[in-house]
Amino acid sequence: MDYQAMLSLALPFGVSLAACGSGYGLGRAVGSAMEAIGRQPEAAGKIQTAMIIGAALIEALTIYALVVFFILQGKIGG
Amino acid sequence: MPNSNLGLDFLARTLRTIGIVLLIFLPFGVYYFGTYTALAVFSGGVWGIVNLIFLSAVVRSAIRPEGIDTARLVVALLVKFPLLYLAGYALLKVPQFSPLNLLIGFSICLAVLALKALGRALLGLDKGPNKSDNLGEAVR
Repeated sequence: MDYQAMLSLALPFGVSLAACGSGYGLGRAVGSAMEAIGRQPEAAGKIQTAMIIGAALIEALTIYALVVFFILQGKIGG
Repeated sequence: MPNSNLGLDFLARTLRTIGIVLLIFLPFGVYYFGTYTALAVFSGGVWGIVNLIFLSAVVRSAIRPEGIDTARLVVALLVKFPLLYLAGYALLKVPQFSPLNLLIGFSICLAVLALKALGRALLGLDKGPNKSDNLGEAVR
């Protein structure tokens, strides 16, 4: 299998793996945040802020994977 | 002191800091790295700020004790997911902008956010008024 074929297979696989990972991570973060707010509604502001920071970092990993996809996509020849 | 804890205003202050960092970077970037590189980093940073604003709007309207604010959530989701991501795609397709420079600008947002949160955690600024004699209180 040559480099082009490997790249063509690895790129979508890598992006989908990143999407699955961040989806799982975000799901867990949101679930835990909901649980925490339900248990302690007066701390909702702090929980939301921590949740936003976590969500931004998780989302960033997927965006990195996506940008790497676009960078390497140009290297796949026709 | 309402501004001192990790409340919702923490994000507003962080966004302001990111904006200031990007504005300081812009003239120096144009001088040292060239116009398009600096503009790409700046655009990536601005995209990151807008993304963070809409992410916080989504979280604040969906995860709250009073229940979901449906109208606000729908608007935030509609702007964030199709429109903002299309704008990001358009930025990636600008021939003068390197995707790496856009990514650096986007990473500046995350770096500032992470450093501010880490700084608060390390300095113990969120421990409450009973810890007022610590280093965090002194530098507050």
